[in-house]
Amino acid sequence: MTIRTHITRMLLLVALLFGCVAPAVASADEHKDEGKLDVKEIIFEHLGDGYGWEVPFAHQYRIPLPVIVRANDGSWHCFSSARLTELVETENIETGKKEHHLVSVPVEISKGDNKYLFYLSTSEAHKSKVVQLLPVDDASSSIETADAKDKLPEFVTVEGNRYTEYKPFDISITKNVLALFISALVVTAMMMCVVRWYRKHGMMAPRKGNGFLELIVEFVYDGVIKNTLGKKAPKFAPYLLTAFFFILVMNLLGLIVIFPGGANLTGNIAITIVLAVMTFIVTNVKGSKHYWKEIFWPDVPIWLKCPLPIMQFIEIFGIFTKPAALCVRLFANMMGGHMIVITLILLIFIFGAFGVAAAGGVTVVSLIFTIFMLLLDVLVSFIQAYVFTMLSTIFIALSTEDGHAEHEHVEAPKALDLKTSESVGKTA
Amino acid sequence: MELFTPDFGLIFWMFVAFLLLFLALRKWAWPVIIKSMEERANLIDKGVEYAQNAKEQLEGARKEAEKYIAEAQKQQAEILRDAAKIKTQIIDEARSTAAVEAQKVMDAAKLSIEQSRKEAELQFKNEVSKFSIEIAEKMMRRQMSSDKAQVELVNKLLDEIEKN
Repeated sequence: MTIRTHITRMLLLVALLFGCVAPAVASADEHKDEGKLDVKEIIFEHLGDGYGWEVPFAHQYRIPLPVIVRANDGSWHCFSSARLTELVETENIETGKKEHHLVSVPVEISKGDNKYLFYLSTSEAHKSKVVQLLPVDDASSSIETADAKDKLPEFVTVEGNRYTEYKPFDISITKNVLALFISALVVTAMMMCVVRWYRKHGMMAPRKGNGFLELIVEFVYDGVIKNTLGKKAPKFAPYLLTAFFFILVMNLLGLIVIFPGGANLTGNIAITIVLAVMTFIVTNVKGSKHYWKEIFWPDVPIWLKCPLPIMQFIEIFGIFTKPAALCVRLFANMMGGHMIVITLILLIFIFGAFGVAAAGGVTVVSLIFTIFMLLLDVLVSFIQAYVFTMLSTIFIALSTEDGHAEHEHVEAPKALDLKTSESVGKTA
Repeated sequence: MELFTPDFGLIFWMFVAFLLLFLALRKWAWPVIIKSMEERANLIDKGVEYAQNAKEQLEGARKEAEKYIAEAQKQQAEILRDAAKIKTQIIDEARSTAAVEAQKVMDAAKLSIEQSRKEAELQFKNEVSKFSIEIAEKMMRRQMSSDKAQVELVNKLLDEIEKN
């Protein structure tokens, strides 16, 4: 009885997972040109950003998001991302099934007398980015010679006309940006829940979810921030706690396959760069005299720093490598996790070409590994958020150190020596 | 490789989102949470301390009570022992006084007996002397009934006096 329920539960789980994987299946179908999977394309499509957000379980439908761009003449334009693509229905010749594709179409916006054409690029240089199409003068195209060919921008042909692509200044609310806002709102909501509990219940310990959140706050605040920074903890705690919870929520939302999640945020270097730059700014703006002295005049033999500033070079290099390491660590860990999961799922479709038995076997194995990887990613999400916070705390602690403590340490033995020598002198 | 070339739009929005989140949480969330957490920790610490103190006090009070009880029991035992002692003492005393009294009564009785005996003796003596005198008188009367015998006695008495 119990075994049967276990099995049915497992099957249900597998079915659910298949459901979650459905978008991947859809995309796999889409890229199935000549029966071949473009694995790299699928992986990067899932890891990358996009102008619309996939509707759960329906790859060809996207939640439209605003595109905000600044054209070449400095004018700002805002339009729905739904206008960038069109759903085209084609019939597969082999199977006779109807297939749906999203095809880029130019968006024409007229402001006053000017007309602007925006287009979701398909060229190598600006792949899946919004570009502005500038019509090519016949004159410029006519002087296209072998020498000048490299210098000239690439031409694209859209609906029979030739254009050059211009990458506009793009601050669109993309999938990742929306995911960012969602994450920020989730963090705010979580913390406000805890705050509201305190407002309502005063000194009573929070229960359930609030209690868990408080446990994490306490884990980070007492375990990392307070231990490392000591008295300075309340000053830097807001930044560090915000960073921790933002990273944690972004990591975890990234692991959820469908709508509110699924954006590979912390596996995007833009996000981790900003986080690292934040730590860099805090570290260096709040840096103490001692910190800067250690960089420009460290306690090393004079020949290491005087004629040739070897130590200074290393120290200044170090200022930048620390946040760079923070940035790359988080990015690589999260992207790696996502990439492994997608690859494991893609294995099913790669092996699908070898017949039913191979596909079935690989499905079971890859699903087991996928579940394992996803669970591992939950752990990694937490660990990476924790590591980022911990290292930031340590960097801040090192940069805000006054150096008094060290001086005292250095001076204390001297004082002791004096006293002992005096007493020795007296006894002598 | 789109992933490795950071997109400006995303960087911009990340800055905005992070700053807004940071400012909002710094203003409304973190101070409240940290303060509440620390206050509660202090409260709990105090509570524990208070409980410990109370426990110690209770322990002390119990010990004191036990001490008092033990003392009281000791006192009770002492009092009982004293009472027993006093009882025996009183009994002894009573016995001795009774003995003394009895002795006194006996002595008085003895004395009165002695006295009455002496009186009786005296009376008896008197009686005896009276009897003897009577007997002597009677005897004398009989012996001195003749003159000759009287002369002889007078002579004899005269002789005795002369001898002296």
